[in-house]
Formats: sequence, C-alpha cells, structure tokens
Amino acid sequence: MITLTINGLDLSVEKGTTLLEAARFFGFPIPTLCHMDGLSPYGACRLCVVEIGEGSKAKLVSSCTYPAEEGLKVRTASSRVVKARKMILELLLASCPQSKIIQDLASAHNVGQQRFRQEHEDCILCGLCVRMCKEQMMAKAIGFRGRGEKRSIGTPFDIKSDVCRLCGGCIYVCPACQLRCTYNEPEKAICGACANLSPPCIEKEEFDDMMCSMEPCVACELDKD
Amino acid sequence: MIRVKSINEFRQLREHLVANLDPTIPTIVICAGTACQASGSNDIMRVAKKYILQKHLVDEIKIRITGCHGFCEMGPFILSEPQNAFYHKVTIDDVPRIIDAVLAGDYVEELLYTDPNTGEKYYRQDDIPFFKNQQRTIFSKNQLIDPIRIYDHIINGGYKAVEKTLSQMTPTQVVAEVKSSGLRGRGGAGFPTGLKWELLAKQSSDNGKYIVCNGDEGDPGAYMDRSLLEGNPHSIIEGMTIGAYGTGATEGVIYVRNEYPLAIKHLIIAIRQAHELGVLGNDILGTGFSFDIDLVRGAGAFVCGEETALMRSIEGEVSEPRQRPPYPVEKGIDGRPTVINNVETWANIPFIINLGASEYAKIGTEGNSGTKIFSLVGKIKNTGLVEVPMGITIKKIINDIGGGPVGKARIKAVQTGGPSGGCIPARMFDLPIDYDSLAEAGSIMGSGGMIVMDENTCMVDVARYFMKFLKDESCGKCFTCRKGTQRMYEILDDVSRGKGTLEQLDLLEELALVVKDTTMCGLGQSAPNPVLSTLRYFREEYERHLIQKRCDAFVCKELVGAPCQSACPVGTEAWRYVAHIARGEYQEAYRTIREANPFPSVCARVCNHPCEDKCRAGTSGGQAIAIRALKRFVTDHVDPSVYEPERIRKADDDSPRVAIIGSGPAGLSAAHYLSLYGYKVTVFEAEDEPGGMLVSAIPGYRLPREVVGKEIDSLIDEDITLKCNTAFGRDVTIDSLSDDGYKAIFVAMGAHRSRRLEIEGEDSSGVYPSMQFLKAFNLRGENLASRGVVVVGGGNSAIDAARVALRQKAVESVTVIYRRTRNEMPAYEEEIEAAIEEGIEIQTLVSPVRILSQNGRITAVECIKNELGEIDSSGRRRPVPVSGTEHTIPADTLIVAVGEQPDTGGISSMGLEISKWGTLYADPDTLSTNLPGVFAGGDVVSGSNTVIDAIAAGKKVASVIDRYLHGEKLKQPYEACLPRIYIEPTAISVEEADQAERARPPSLPVESRRHSFSEVDLSLSSEEAAQEAKRCLRCDLEFTQPKEEKIEEPATGVKTT
Repeated sequence: MITLTINGLDLSVEKGTTLLEAARFFGFPIPTLCHMDGLSPYGACRLCVVEIGEGSKAKLVSSCTYPAEEGLKVRTASSRVVKARKMILELLLASCPQSKIIQDLASAHNVGQQRFRQEHEDCILCGLCVRMCKEQMMAKAIGFRGRGEKRSIGTPFDIKSDVCRLCGGCIYVCPACQLRCTYNEPEKAICGACANLSPPCIEKEEFDDMMCSMEPCVACELDKD
Repeated sequence: MIRVKSINEFRQLREHLVANLDPTIPTIVICAGTACQASGSNDIMRVAKKYILQKHLVDEIKIRITGCHGFCEMGPFILSEPQNAFYHKVTIDDVPRIIDAVLAGDYVEELLYTDPNTGEKYYRQDDIPFFKNQQRTIFSKNQLIDPIRIYDHIINGGYKAVEKTLSQMTPTQVVAEVKSSGLRGRGGAGFPTGLKWELLAKQSSDNGKYIVCNGDEGDPGAYMDRSLLEGNPHSIIEGMTIGAYGTGATEGVIYVRNEYPLAIKHLIIAIRQAHELGVLGNDILGTGFSFDIDLVRGAGAFVCGEETALMRSIEGEVSEPRQRPPYPVEKGIDGRPTVINNVETWANIPFIINLGASEYAKIGTEGNSGTKIFSLVGKIKNTGLVEVPMGITIKKIINDIGGGPVGKARIKAVQTGGPSGGCIPARMFDLPIDYDSLAEAGSIMGSGGMIVMDENTCMVDVARYFMKFLKDESCGKCFTCRKGTQRMYEILDDVSRGKGTLEQLDLLEELALVVKDTTMCGLGQSAPNPVLSTLRYFREEYERHLIQKRCDAFVCKELVGAPCQSACPVGTEAWRYVAHIARGEYQEAYRTIREANPFPSVCARVCNHPCEDKCRAGTSGGQAIAIRALKRFVTDHVDPSVYEPERIRKADDDSPRVAIIGSGPAGLSAAHYLSLYGYKVTVFEAEDEPGGMLVSAIPGYRLPREVVGKEIDSLIDEDITLKCNTAFGRDVTIDSLSDDGYKAIFVAMGAHRSRRLEIEGEDSSGVYPSMQFLKAFNLRGENLASRGVVVVGGGNSAIDAARVALRQKAVESVTVIYRRTRNEMPAYEEEIEAAIEEGIEIQTLVSPVRILSQNGRITAVECIKNELGEIDSSGRRRPVPVSGTEHTIPADTLIVAVGEQPDTGGISSMGLEISKWGTLYADPDTLSTNLPGVFAGGDVVSGSNTVIDAIAAGKKVASVIDRYLHGEKLKQPYEACLPRIYIEPTAISVEEADQAERARPPSLPVESRRHSFSEVDLSLSSEEAAQEAKRCLRCDLEFTQPKEEKIEEPATGVKTT
C-alpha cells in the first residue's frame, strides 16, 4: 500500500493506482475527457491535471497517467489547477462548441465565454476511439496520423480498413464528435456505420461474434420493421 | 585492419603510429564540414589533390580532410600545419599559391585572416580572436582528425580513455569519476550525468540495459551535435563504450536524424572501423567486456528529441512522449532500463576520463563545470560554432568571439535554446551562461543554439516564427500543447498584422502560462518560452504593433507596406514617384513628392533618407534604390507650379490667428498647412532671414541658398505673415501673443546651442561651438577658422564645420577627431567620404582631454586614444581611454561639434515644461505642451534632429491645431500606411536586372570644389534616373495589384466572333 495526501487528507491506495483513480475513489471529482475505465490511460486532454509537490517544485501533472507515490501531496482543485482547467475548457469551447459534454463541463466550471477565434471542429483528438479500437475491439483499424496541427484520426492513407468490423465502438466512446457517423464517403469513412446502407450485422454468419456498440443501430431498427 | 587483442597491443599500435609520423612534412588541412562543403570546400579539395599529384608533391606535403572547425562564416578555408596559418574564403585559384607557400614555409599575405574591426592581420589561427577567446577542449580535436580514419583518432589520443577505464578502473569508479566531474547533460535540461549513470548502474535487468546517444538535433540554427558526429564520431563511440562499462549497459543506440547524411556516413564508417580494430563489439581489447552500438535514423520529427518519444521512435512506434515516472532509467526501450545522453555529453566523457574529474571540475563554474559548444548565428560578424567554459558572459561571446554586429544596426537580443528557449535583451548581456541563470532569465540552455538579433529583427515576428515551428512540430498528443500553440500562433499572427487589442496580449500571456503548466513533455512545457520572454522584455514592441500599427524592425508586412513609404516621417510614397520616373511621368512624380512634403528640393539634397535605409532592395542583400537622387532628379526637372496645393478652407478676416515661433522647416511646414486649413498665420523669426537651420547651419555647397529661398517663397502666401528679428521670450511671449488674439501657438525654435566638451581650456579664444562657427559664416560671412583646425565630433555638424572651415581662406589643414570608430559616426557616409576626398583628416578612437593655450589663445589640444570596450546603453561599444597614449595635436582653431540643444533659458520662465534632456516637453502624439493652446515640435522638442522629422512635426501640428481650434479630440487613432494606388510596372529584362547597379549622382571634381561653395552633388541624367527607377522592387504591388479579373462569359444568345 502507498500512503499519500490528497487535498490534505492522508490516504492509502494500492501500488499502481493512478492519482485519478485514487482521487475519484475517495470522492474528489476530477473532470476528464480522454479517460475511460477499461482503456489504458493516455493523458491527452489535460483536463484532469492536479498539482503535486510543494514550493518551487510544485507542478501540474495529468492525474490519469501519474502513479500514486509514497508521501506525495496532491491538490485536485488548487487555484493553479482551476485556472488551468478553465483555460483548457475555454480552448475546448473555442474548437468544439457543439459538444454537449464540453458545454456541460464548461458550465460546471463557470466558463461562460471563450476569447479565441471560433472554430467548429468535431474532434478533440482525445484518442478514446483509437484505444477502444485497439484495446477493446482488438482491431487496430484506426490510429493517429500526422503531428501538430495536421494530426488526425483515421485509417492509414484514408483507405477503408480491412480489419474494421464496423462495430461503432469508436463512435460510442467519443466525447465530442457528432458528425463522424454521417460521413458521406463510405469508402473513406472510419466506420461508416449507420450511414452505410448495408449494416454488416444483417449478414449474421459473417460477423457472428462482432461486438457492436451502436446505439441505436440502424440495422436493429431496420429489423424491427 | 588488424584486430587488437589486448590492451598492450593497443598501446603498441599507438606508439607505432605516433613514431611513424614525420613532423617535418607540412600538412594542409581542409575543412569539409557541411557548412564548408556548402561554401565550396569540395572543389578546394579536388583542386588541392590534383595540384599535389601533378607537381609530384605527394611525399612533400600532406593533406587532411576534416570535419567542422567552427568558423563557418569564413569557409571554405585552409589551415596549414605546422605554421598554423589560417586562409579564409579560399577560392580554387588560391589553392596552388597556398600549397606553394606552405612548402616554402611562407605565407600568402593577402589571404590571411584580417580582423574586420581592427584591420589587424593574423599569421596564426590560434591568435585570431574568434579562436583565441574560446576554450576548445572538445571541438579542437576536429581539425586534427580525418573522421573516416580511426588511426588519426588514435594518434591524437583516441580510445586512450577506453584503454584507461578497462585496464585501471572498476565500473563504480567510472561512474564516481563522471559524477564528481560535475558534468551536466548537454541536451539542455542539465541533469547531472553521473547521477543518471549511477541510477542505471543500480538497476538490475535480465534483458540487458540500453544507453542511447541522442543526436536528434532539431533546433533551427543549431548544429553543434551534427558537427561533432561528422567531425569526430569516434569520440562518441568512445564515450558510450565507457558509459556502458560504467553502467553495465549491453547495448548502445546512436539516434541520428536522417537529415544528417554526412554524420550518418561517418558514424557507419567509424562503427565499422571500431569493430574491426577491436575497440567495440565482443571482447573489447581482449578484456572480456562486450558492448555494441546500433545506429538508428530518426524520421525528422522535432519531438523525437524528447527522451520518451525518442525511445518510442527507436522501438518503431509513432514518437509520442509519455508520462514520467516511470523514468527511462527504470523502464526504457522495450521496458529495459535506459540512459539517454546528448551527443555533446558523450563527447565529454573521454575528455573527463583522460583529464581526471577534479581537473575537469575546475573548468567552468561551481555547479556548471566543463565547456559548452554554442552555435552562434544570426546578425553577428563571426557566425560559427564556439566552445566556451560555462559561466562566460553573453557579452564576451558576442563581442570577443562573435566580433559584434554585422552592420550599423545594434544588437538587441540573443535567443538561446532554440524554439523552446527565450530571448535575452541586450541590457542583460552581463549574464553568465549556465543552466540556472538562463532559466532564471526566462530562457533555457537548450542544446546550445544562440541566435543574435539586431534592430532589424522584430520580436513579434520571432515569437511568431518559433510558434509556427512548434505548432507544426508538437506531436499533438496533449490538447493544450497542440491547440495552445495553434492559438498562440493565431494571436501572434494577428499582432503582426496590427489586429487586436491589448487584452489579446493578456490572453496570450495567460494561455502561454497554462500551456507551460499543463503539458506532459518538455516540448510543450517550454513551447511558450519564446512568447513569454519576448512579452517580458519587449512588450512595448507588441504594444506598438497593436496601438501605433508600427513594426520598428520593418518586418511585419501588413504594417510596413512599402518600407520606403512607412519609413518616411511624412509618409512620402517613394515607390510611387519612383514608378512614375521609370515610366517617364516626371510631373506625376513631382506631384507625388510635393503632396507629402512642402520642401521637396531641400529634402532632395539634405534628407537623411530613412527610405533608403529601409529599402528592401538594400535590406535583402543588394543595394538600396538611390531614392534621394531620384527625388533630386525630379525636382531639378519639373517646374514646381505643376502642383497646386488644395485649399481645404479659405481664410477670411474672421479666421482664427495662429502664431508660429521659428521659421525653420518645422515652423514653415506648419504655417503652410495651417494656411491651407484656412487660418491666418504669423511666423516669428529671431534671425534676420527665414529658414532656421536650413540657412544657418547647413552649408551652401550642400544646400544652395537660392534653392532654400525659392522653396520658402513658394510656401508663403497672403495668409502667412513673416516677422524677422523677433525673438521668442525677448520680443514676444506666450502672454503677449494671446493678448494679441492668437488662438494657438506653435513653438518650433530649433536647437541652436552647441553642447560643451567640459574640459580644461575650453574658454580659450579660438575655440568655437560649431553652431556659432557655422552661423557666423552662413549668415554673416565671417571666417572664424585659421591655419590648423581641429573639429571634435562625428555628426553632420562636425563634418559641415570641417568642410566649411576647409573652404575658409586662412585655413591650412582640417582634422576631425571622433571618440568611436568610423562605423559609429552618425554623420552621413557620403558626407564623410566627401570630406576625406577634399583632404580632411579623420582620426577615430581619439578624445580630447584638455586644451592647451598661450596668452589665452589655443595652441594645441591634448588627446588620448581609445579602445572599444563593452556595449553601453546606446548599444554601441563604449570608447575606453587607453592610459599612456596621451598626445597633442597643434591647433589654432578648435570647433566643438558634439551635439546641439535648444536654448530653453527663455521658455522655461514662461511656464513651459522642460524635459530631463533639456528640451521642451511636448506630447508625442498631439505635440501639446503643458500649456493649453501651446504646441511644440521640431528640434526644440527632439534635440538636434533631421530636416524631415522637423517637417513631419510641422505637418502634424497643423492638423492637431485645426482639431484644437474646432474643439475636437486631439489624438487620432493610428493607421498603418499602405500603398493604395496601382501603377503598372515597367518591363525590365533579366539581364538589365542583373547588371543594374545603384546610380551614383555625379559630383564636382575635388579640385574645383575644395575652395568654393558651389553645390557639390549634381543631378542624375534622365537615362540614369530611368534605369535606377527600374531597379525598384515595387513592394507596393503586393498591396495594389488588381486581382486577375474573371473573364466574363458572353451572355446567352450573343454571338462572339
């Protein structure tokens, strides 16, 4: 067991626990966008930053990736943390104003406006879909491409992947995207799913053990008729 | 190659190699580093080899091809051994001469390096300041070694450290030695290397451990790692072998970016040779110790230099940093313990082992031992790689090694640490360079990039440039780094266009701090540094972009427009009249000039032409357009009556009256424009003729009196009354003027009092302040100078006084003494040259100490010589007197021309505020003084300044007074002044463009002008003018060229033929 202090409270957690898990277990709320139980921690959205250490050594780290260390002093809502979180939400709002999840988070943190040039993107590159595809669906059909401003998620060379089972898992976990499933070029689509006029699960034999995460599924709806 | 099987054999090999050297045979060394190859050293090599073969000199002279020596500015170069002579910027034609000279033990004098600052010629490379002021412990090996010959390395002590560690030291001792040397990671973060090694040594792993050499040097402008890998690859292999022995690592990886082909080639050869010789691989030197090195080529992403991303790249994955802990030393490549060190760190290891830790720790400062290699680039004379002990000041690097600024522009800042670093302003150049002090100043050591910036560098643009780099090179994993750098770039781009408010700067700073705080790896954490440091030290530059819409460095295009136009204080569209001249439209050209400037003929002769200084044809490496000469051509050829000024309102008897003090360029310009606004103006002049400095200070050979007279006459109309012999403070006062019904007063009385030297004997007779001397001659025709004349000063009034004195009858010789160097003389270059042509002697780096006199009359001036010291607050190197160099110069007349001040004695008593510089205070935006209705401008406010600035003040005050008298707000928002009118460019052939040279206006021959006051400079011919005008790059077209119009489709039903 490892003992550490979170917000002044002395706690012990099992070795290997992340700060996020520890804090949430003891009831300290930490907002996240790129974290999901069952998927490996990634640390992309930076919303979960907490302050560790003291004095001039104090710094912010992403709690979802930082392992609990013996004697660590953690503050989950210090002014430095809150300031950073608000700026991150402002940046998110500026990029993805349509996302309900982001809107709710912003509202909960009293971020009422953003001061940047408004964009309308449908992806915050949190990588949940990539990890879902790789770790839960064992497909590795999609991944990150490019870097910096040009970073995007998709299949290699934008060619429809042979290993994609059109399970829809990527859409299921997405905190921001609303438009991806209406992709109108099926041959390039990450999943194409509901826009795809012949849902795969109709041919049950071929996709017998596919894990489908679509909800509601166009195919299932079709079946009902 | 024979494999060496024991340490003894290796020793014997070395002894054998050294014994076979014949020190009597001279060697020529040719640098073939990447920079020198780019400047042509491959050709030099070929020619040298051919010449040696042709002349059968193979046994008499040796040739060595080496890696980079560091003095890249001077490449390609040849170094001769054992003479140590350094021939720079060698061409292929020079090679035979050099070889012959080296064989004869002689020198090729004219190719030897000469210091551009002092003119001193150097016979030995070691004496050249660039080399002499460095401490080249790591880098000096490069010139001794041909990197593809392992024996060269061994002769020069290579693998001696491996030999020593394997035969005499235990692994623990090796780690302890490195630890106590105090070596810190040269990659930039400065983590103690020994400590890292100790952690690795403690790790136990069944799968083995890795050590990695990080050669992913990606900072723009930094190339020291590259030069080490290219020039001395064995030192890296040696360092890593020692590291492996100390830490128990089994495998090594050298990670080099694929953009370094020469480094890769040399490394491959070096690793192969080391294998063959038995100093790398299995059973090294027969000791049973095994270690091998793999070469991995990086794919070229900047983030690969971050250690966790680098490990992923080596594993074959996309390089994305990950959270530490776990640190690489616990869990590195493929989960095995790994230590990653920078190229330069590894290169230090053999040196530490050979020298001993305690000796090594003495280099540098406490806590920052050893040397550091910097790549010194940017606006500096000696660009190249410099190795200096830690703790050296920036000043020393820039002045002593770098040789100071390239041109006249002052150095403003240095940027250290590449895109993740920050800018350090010139006022902090005393800062000792080490990891901690740089971090405190808001920058980082980084891998050692050092980019020097001068006044022509815009700090907003610098931050924008680096942010663009970072937004493209961020891996994109962390949202704050990816989006944060994009948003910072967005704001910086807006600022560079003058868009946005000051709140944007606060947002920028707020965002920068959050990005710094919340990202995972070093790239994101340091990405805001360029923004934060420039905001910290150069915030006023940002603010000037936003408020005044000005980019002082003339870099940000959207604010600068055509540089000639925005550089002109009155906004003359120089590009426009130049374009008209090219098209032969001289009247149009005249109208363009006159629209902006009421004194075209005067300015065509004496303007300091800021337009030419900023002309892009000149700043981009060529010669600026001779704009002033073109203006002179137009004013000489066109009758001024082609321009009829537009009257905004017509004055009548009820029009408000405005009083103007002084009839110089400022006063008369104000009078002219106020009369166009419909006011009744009275100009009060203290002397008995109008013109101010134009007639009292500027000599007739530069500005003929009839030219001034005509121009003044054309400005004075029926609404302007001129009252001469009326002094402000004596004949009229503010109170008397307002009692007389004047509604506004413009004080533009100039600066007529010369500053004093404040030295002993200054009151002797024969000593004149320059203004007194010039006025006596220009206004009253008195010849005050006689026999030997000495003029003190380096500005225009000093040169004017000297040239006027030379033209006076009783004068035999004229000497100008100036305390700094010719480069720093504020006088116009062409004036200085003309003065020298006429026979005036100019002595620089000389200051007067006291004036010797006999019977109250000057006999001589005692002077002292100066040398250039450290940079002072003006950004120039301070002249420091050298004691023991006192000497006297006989003088019958001494003219003191060290600057002018306004005579403020009378004005302060009227309640006008005087600034701390002894000038009249006026708000820079509205020219208002502390008294309502009283405005001031020109030299009385700025101190002695240029004609065009005075005209600009007069022009500006007219509109301000107009608003004042209409009860409107005085301050107006700023606007960037961009070209608006499209003038079709004239065709010019490529040959014409290539051959075109800056036009030189003809001047009177020296013999005929030396004793006359006829105008010296003459006008260009029409052909010359047209040719010169065609050279213009037409910066305006970017803003005015009409977009190509769409060809409209014919309407349906209409037949086209």
